[in-house]
Amino acid sequence: MKTNTMSYKLKQYLLFAGVSTVIFACVVIIPFIYGLYLTFTSWDGVSRNKPFVGLTNYVNAFGDTGYWTSLGRTFIYSAIAVILVNAVAFIIAYMVTSGIKGQNFFRAGFFVPNLIGGIVLGYVWKFVFNKALVEISQTISSGQAKSLLATENGAIAALIIVSVWQYAGYMMLIYVAGFMSVSEDVIEAAKIDGCTGTQSIIHISIPLMTASFVQCLFLTITRCFMVYDVNLSLTNGDPYGSSALAAMHVYNQAFINKNYGTGQAEALILFIICAVIGGIQVYVGKKGEVQA
Amino acid sequence: MENEKAARNKKIRHALMIVFLSILFVAFVFPFIMVIINVFKVKADITANPLALIGSHGFTLDNFPNAIKKMNFFPSFGNSLFITILSTIGTIILSSMTAYLIVRNDWKANKILFVLMIASMVIPFQVLMIPLVSLYGGIFGVLNHRVTLILMHIGFSLSMATFMFHGSIHTNVPISLEEAATIDGCNKWQIFSQIVFPILKPTIATVAIIDAMAFWNDYLLPSLVLGRKELYTIPIATKVFYGTYSTDTGLIMAALLLAMLPILLLYLFLQRYIVEGITAGAVK
Amino acid sequence: MKKKLLSLAMVAAMSASLVACGGSDGKSGANGSGVSITILNSKTEIQTQFEEMAEEYEEATGVHVEVYNADTDTTVASQVATKYASNDPYTISMVDAKDIYSLADDYAYDLSNEDWVSHTTLGITVNDKLAGFPFCVEARGILYNADAIEKVTGKEFDPKSVATLDDFQKLLDELKAGGMETPVGILSEYWSLGAHWFPMIYEEQADPDAFVNGLLEGKEDLAGNEKYNELMDTFETLVKYNYAKGSASNADREETSMMLAEGQIAFMFGGNWDWSVINQYDYTEHLGMMPVPQNTSDGTNGKLVGGGSKYIFVDSSDATSDEQRQAALDFLNWLVSDAEGNAFLTEKCALVPAFDNIDASALDPLSLSVKSYADANNLVPNYNYLPDDHMTVVGQEIMQKYLDEAIDRAEVAKEVTEYFKTATPIAH
Repeated sequence: MKTNTMSYKLKQYLLFAGVSTVIFACVVIIPFIYGLYLTFTSWDGVSRNKPFVGLTNYVNAFGDTGYWTSLGRTFIYSAIAVILVNAVAFIIAYMVTSGIKGQNFFRAGFFVPNLIGGIVLGYVWKFVFNKALVEISQTISSGQAKSLLATENGAIAALIIVSVWQYAGYMMLIYVAGFMSVSEDVIEAAKIDGCTGTQSIIHISIPLMTASFVQCLFLTITRCFMVYDVNLSLTNGDPYGSSALAAMHVYNQAFINKNYGTGQAEALILFIICAVIGGIQVYVGKKGEVQA
Repeated sequence: MENEKAARNKKIRHALMIVFLSILFVAFVFPFIMVIINVFKVKADITANPLALIGSHGFTLDNFPNAIKKMNFFPSFGNSLFITILSTIGTIILSSMTAYLIVRNDWKANKILFVLMIASMVIPFQVLMIPLVSLYGGIFGVLNHRVTLILMHIGFSLSMATFMFHGSIHTNVPISLEEAATIDGCNKWQIFSQIVFPILKPTIATVAIIDAMAFWNDYLLPSLVLGRKELYTIPIATKVFYGTYSTDTGLIMAALLLAMLPILLLYLFLQRYIVEGITAGAVK
Repeated sequence: MKKKLLSLAMVAAMSASLVACGGSDGKSGANGSGVSITILNSKTEIQTQFEEMAEEYEEATGVHVEVYNADTDTTVASQVATKYASNDPYTISMVDAKDIYSLADDYAYDLSNEDWVSHTTLGITVNDKLAGFPFCVEARGILYNADAIEKVTGKEFDPKSVATLDDFQKLLDELKAGGMETPVGILSEYWSLGAHWFPMIYEEQADPDAFVNGLLEGKEDLAGNEKYNELMDTFETLVKYNYAKGSASNADREETSMMLAEGQIAFMFGGNWDWSVINQYDYTEHLGMMPVPQNTSDGTNGKLVGGGSKYIFVDSSDATSDEQRQAALDFLNWLVSDAEGNAFLTEKCALVPAFDNIDASALDPLSLSVKSYADANNLVPNYNYLPDDHMTVVGQEIMQKYLDEAIDRAEVAKEVTEYFKTATPIAH
């Protein structure tokens, strides 16, 4: 069978990826190009005419100090959240695959946070931060305590805590699948060769799980950079707009301040930054991947 | 002697792990417990003291029937189920095939597709929102159909699913197995469907949970595509309880509990599948 | 496996096409009489009443009405815009006053020739086109719980007796001495501070438009402005007695409303729409609304601030057929001229009507207060042309700090002045 002719390649491509390509192009690529076009207009998001204005929106975006501040904040938030989410998820995943009693029960429990979204999540956590924790700290220190959500750094810390809570169970899923795919035989063989538990994790499991790490890191990085719903339901930018992350700023710019073009341009800048960071991470990670 | 000592160490280690996990566990399920506590209270009691087991207005089950009636629960549930199942199946089949093509063939077209897919995962949805409805509503007029939503769901989730399958085909599917099959006279499609796909079980289960959950809970895209009440999915229907000036917390919690059950069941079911995956993986 | 996969795909495809055929287009109308219209309701607290009304309306007239609830995650304007982008607009959209100005030219049908026009002065006209139908009247002021006050003071509470800040202060001290340590609640939400409180500083100027233009041009001296200082004096007093003082941003709307309803606090800044939250709690009998107390001589301390609120426009685009448009116009007429329509507005939804022919006596206590001020012509009109980001910048970035006592009055004036220099004016 000739496997390098053009027609063979085309047939294979259409068979395996034809439908995907068409759907992907229609749903993502084409609207994206249209969205790109809109950044060159001064459309307000509502009216019928979309006057072409060239690069004005990009100039505005670069001059929007609020945007760059929120972006800086997003970097700090993401860096901490990504590390914590993955550390917690990995540790949990390791423990719930180590054969302890009730591991299925634990797996279900850690997964539950994923099922609570939107306004309930914001409501419940607001209560935890504003009431439960305040009361506890007042009993301990017997003074007027401020809620985490009422201080500028505290609000970001609260966002990080909730993100860890929300994503750790999700990433645990992927790490669990990773641990499961490392076959028992390999671990057994390592043990016979005299590896301790920790050694076998570091030298065998982790290298074999590179794919899981690449996936989880990529997912957490991109999710953290684009986080919006938790930001909206938990802090909505309070206090003083100090906890508005980049996606929220972009959204407000486009829809509340009715600068659709500028908001769209800022979203694209966010996209490029995200794509570059995510891309580097995937590239580095894929290089380290072990081929079966 | 050695073995006994090892067994004892293992026991201690396991006990420590259980303690550690239990503490984390409480922190993780605490908000969920709050939901359960408060679903049996009227709104006034929820605001007054969310921690109280029973409020001053007493225990109530009214939130459930009220939520079911107000959000038109059963038709919405049917819509959600239909859309979620078809979107998930579609995504898994299409993305595993695409990932297989990309991993095993070092062609330029594949590389471009893969890079585009990875890049697309970081596009903020707001960028695509207006263009999407302008194209498919304004020009083609195909909104307000469940199939449109299913295709869009697939389109948006293909990238991540392909990305995940790419990783696991790369590391977990031994190329030697495929070479052997080729010698036995299998064509590419047979190799994929009979050898590769079954090995991918753990990843399939993971992708199924992640995507089904995302589809089940998605609000923004369905709300743009399904503008008619009879097509509403659960998340859109739940929005009746959210007001600018008043939010009916009791009803929202009831709706949340009713809506999360199918996903929880799916998760528990697929968990077993992931565990069984070990034996499937042992083919190598 | 191949077969399994294939059959799975087949099943998927088949059931998909089945639904595609069955997938109905709501516009074609379910019942015999044919016409079907859609309404976007952005007054989310009356969604239930709206839906019940729709059913009754269909029984009476044969017109099928679908009521859609506005999405609270986004703005009404962007929701309407999204519907227009997908060429699937609502027949009738209820939006905020300022949205009418941006939507009118392209999408609003001219309502000048309708029967109800002579009964209201609150409609919005854009470029000679009457585009906005006023849905109700709403006003801002101080909400009070008279029962809570009387319980402490032992004498009947007359809101007129605390029109000046000095008198108000005396009452607050009396309440404090009587055991109510913190008689005031201030919502920390930015829309309350930035869209409800701060705009009073412009609205109560002699010429609001000239004042805001002066700020936009950088010519106005806010720090030295009399109205600014009068209202800020009052705000500082409120802050001093705020129950959440020290952690003001913890005070959320639900809790503050509950405290007022139950009489744990006596005063709260808000509007008559707050009734929909208050009535969910065990409220005491005598609640009401009064003007914001001020040491002023211009008479504004005898007036609430407000006017027409929530405006309806009828779609003029091709996506709406002439029959649907006529049905929409009939519906608006029904609201104003039909006894059932009136009852829907005033009794079921407890709204203060914007039309002089509608009788409204069975309103909630807050709306009754608003109505009495409106009838006596004691409303300071809303100013609808503030820049779009005024609410977030002034409300969140500036006033929240002030509420937390992190910056002082001079700094507020300086930051607001700076903000206006770069703000985009609203054409009107």
